[in-house]
Amino acid sequence: MLTQTSHKALVCIQCGKCTGSCPESGKTPFNIRALVRKKQFGSGITEGIPWYCTSCGACTIRCPRDVKPSEVIIEMRSAFIENGTVPLAIQKALENTFVQKNPWGRSRNKRAAWTEKVDFEVPHVSETESKRLLFVCCIQAYDPRCMVIPVNVANILNKAGFEFGILGEEEACCGNEIRRIGETGLFEELQEENAANLREYGVKEIVALSPHCMNVLKKEYGDLGIKVSHYTEALWPLIEEGSFKTTRPCPKKVIYHDPCFLGKQNNIFDQPRNILRSIEDLELLEFSRSRETSLCCEGGGGRMFFEVETTYQRNAEVRVLEAAEKGADLIATACPFCVMTIEDPATEKGLIVKELSEIIMEVL
Amino acid sequence: MKTGIFICHCGHNIKHTVDVKKLSEYFRHYPNVVVSEDYVFVCSEPGQDMIRESIEKEGLDRVIIASCTPSLHGEMFKDVLKKSDLNPFLLRRVSIREHCSWIGDDVEKNTEKAKRLILAGLYSAAHYVPLEEKIVDVKKSALIVGGGVSGLSAAVFLSRMGMQVYLVEKEAELGGHVRVLKNIWPSGRDGKDIIDEMVKELEGRRNVELFTSTAISSFEGFFGNYEVTLDTPVGEKKLTAGGVIIAIGFSPFDPGTKPELNYGKDKRIITTLDFERNADALQLPENPRVAILHCIGSRDEQIGKPYCSRVCCVNALRVGDAIKNRYGDSYVESFYMDVRAHPRGGEEYFEDTQEKGVLFTRANVAEIMPMPTGVMIRGEDTLFGETFEREFDLVVLSIGMSPPADSKLIASLFKVTLDKDKFFLEAHIKLRPFDTAVKGIFIAGSCSGPKDVEESINHGRASAVKLFGFLNLGYAYVDPFIAHVDPKRCSGCRMCEQACVAKAIKYDEAQRVVHVEDAACMGCGLCNATCPSSAISLKGYIDCMIDDEISAFLEAI
Repeated sequence: MLTQTSHKALVCIQCGKCTGSCPESGKTPFNIRALVRKKQFGSGITEGIPWYCTSCGACTIRCPRDVKPSEVIIEMRSAFIENGTVPLAIQKALENTFVQKNPWGRSRNKRAAWTEKVDFEVPHVSETESKRLLFVCCIQAYDPRCMVIPVNVANILNKAGFEFGILGEEEACCGNEIRRIGETGLFEELQEENAANLREYGVKEIVALSPHCMNVLKKEYGDLGIKVSHYTEALWPLIEEGSFKTTRPCPKKVIYHDPCFLGKQNNIFDQPRNILRSIEDLELLEFSRSRETSLCCEGGGGRMFFEVETTYQRNAEVRVLEAAEKGADLIATACPFCVMTIEDPATEKGLIVKELSEIIMEVL
Repeated sequence: MKTGIFICHCGHNIKHTVDVKKLSEYFRHYPNVVVSEDYVFVCSEPGQDMIRESIEKEGLDRVIIASCTPSLHGEMFKDVLKKSDLNPFLLRRVSIREHCSWIGDDVEKNTEKAKRLILAGLYSAAHYVPLEEKIVDVKKSALIVGGGVSGLSAAVFLSRMGMQVYLVEKEAELGGHVRVLKNIWPSGRDGKDIIDEMVKELEGRRNVELFTSTAISSFEGFFGNYEVTLDTPVGEKKLTAGGVIIAIGFSPFDPGTKPELNYGKDKRIITTLDFERNADALQLPENPRVAILHCIGSRDEQIGKPYCSRVCCVNALRVGDAIKNRYGDSYVESFYMDVRAHPRGGEEYFEDTQEKGVLFTRANVAEIMPMPTGVMIRGEDTLFGETFEREFDLVVLSIGMSPPADSKLIASLFKVTLDKDKFFLEAHIKLRPFDTAVKGIFIAGSCSGPKDVEESINHGRASAVKLFGFLNLGYAYVDPFIAHVDPKRCSGCRMCEQACVAKAIKYDEAQRVVHVEDAACMGCGLCNATCPSSAISLKGYIDCMIDDEISAFLEAI
């Protein structure tokens, strides 16, 4: 006997807008509409399936009945976590986050190691006048490929006379991915820890380096009374008013990839493009799927931490092929996860992937 | 005081769970009650005669009828009192059927409840005073706002009935959206012909004034005598209208607000309205591939339009039909969530279109991507459970109806209400579907929600008939349940003036008190509740009636 669940999934009309919008549909066994249908009837979900979701949010943004399918997926994952039936790599990432406050399990003491490469002393946020916090993000604090991003942004903002501080070792993982993996309890712990620090140091503004951190701090930490922005939002006005200038030209064709958490989920499309356009001789190209219809790189929703079972053409490869076809010299983006996922196939095709700040540093 | 109580059995409806004999017996010995009877059907001829005889014989000055809901037989029982020369507002109805006998089976409890209900009526009626319905003069003229098919239909009816009609249209041309429609389903007529016919008739009448390119700059006064100022191309024009019909139509949904559709960025992506205007100018190959998308701007909570626009499915069928008729060798695919071809003959038309070869795919299309070779559509065929990407030469978006762009402006001008979707709200969805909450102001056509051409014409005519009924005699009865100000208690704070939606409260500068314009008052009670000095009361519904009713329920008996 089927039991009825009292759930937003009940109002789903099975129109298929979510599946058509989903970057995993068609090529993987993942069908979001079918999963919502199963949720309506409370029927069993095949174990591996919900882990395909990249949390890009396209389904939730477009759902005509506002079912929020991506949230339904999070609930399904939570149930698996409760039962302990979780892919090993995910389990590891959760344990790491619990212990070291980052999914990679690197030592918490080294969270501020990147500051050694900055050419000035980065203050603690409590020592700043503006109480403006640069929120660094785990992958950028530890990963050798991404560590350059906070270094760059710190140098750029400092050069523009834009005051900021950091939390250093006190910064814990923002929890954006943790919540999407379905570990609500751990997410709440991280949220409480970070929020307590924000309160203690009287933080008035947060500039997040990763769109993922920005998203969760802005939308899922409750009302902190703190303005949260992505660093491109902070940087563009500085360029516009002339506080920050690039001096050298960049005679390259650059194609910009919209990160899902920056673009479609938070409507920040123009600032990164404006920054790129402000660089002399830089020719900006567009993907056929850009802005609201940008193709997800498949790095979100816990997908950074484990590989799904099916082998199929990765979206990152689709992106790289189109970039090459359009004659781009390099692919620019503004998210560490996008950098990581796109770089693999790009290297194979002899294309370069750069985070926005890396391009700026070259033309200073 | 001489009160008569008449308790109805309603056949078995009341009698089977309420001890009616016990009730009539109980009240027979009550103070001020001179008649207490129960009867099988009080509403029947003999039942009515019984009441009349009692009134005349016993000289009753209050009549309490305990029976069905007051909204049933209300006017009929009032007439019984009138025929016996008793003021009809001395009648009290008590519902012991809907509120009592139909609810539970416990005779003892039901009888006790019925007793309390009748007692409450008895206590309340003690405060009744005779009231008179007022008569006000009304102008036999109508202001019609909007010159689309609905407003024109209303104007045609009213002008034929000899009423003075002022029709105001903001555009330079009459006819609205219907003017551009070709081959309107199911009649096959062109919209222009329908409009021209109506406009021609109106232009030939002396009792009609048509104002195009005109706005309404002010609207004052009350039912029967609304004062209107128009801003016409030749200057200001003042007029008096007995009533108003608002028929300002709809705005076509702009698909540009949904970025994944890429509307406006490629000329191969068009709306049903674009198709209507330019079907001949489309440059299509001999065997074109055409996609038609349903529900664009309808049934979509992400854009605040959760409603079905009701016309777009048939419009989508019309496009498919037209393409198939013109290009026998075409490939036409219609993407739908549900096909709602609800008008009469719609389902058959759906089937005809399928027979002609239009394919129907159950998919709410996710993205439309212009490509060099064609326009690519991405979505999931929800019946196969498979995603697809297909290229077409033309994509037609079957757009829905959005509320008129100036609905807020017009609503605030006329002090009428909009619903949650910003369409005009009717006074009651079933019982008063053409009225607004303001007396003498009606709504017609798609401004009160999506409607097709036939429905808009019918709605316009129906509102016209209702308005005609209000104005035709040149005078109108006004309910006596209106606010009354006790000037001795009024402090002149004027809070009631702000609360009043009908603009019925006027301030007397000399006396520094307010008074109520009887004709304008709707009896809503807002001023009554607002007044800090308790200076305002509603005739027929004074506070002590309610206090005494409550004590009837609570006191020991």
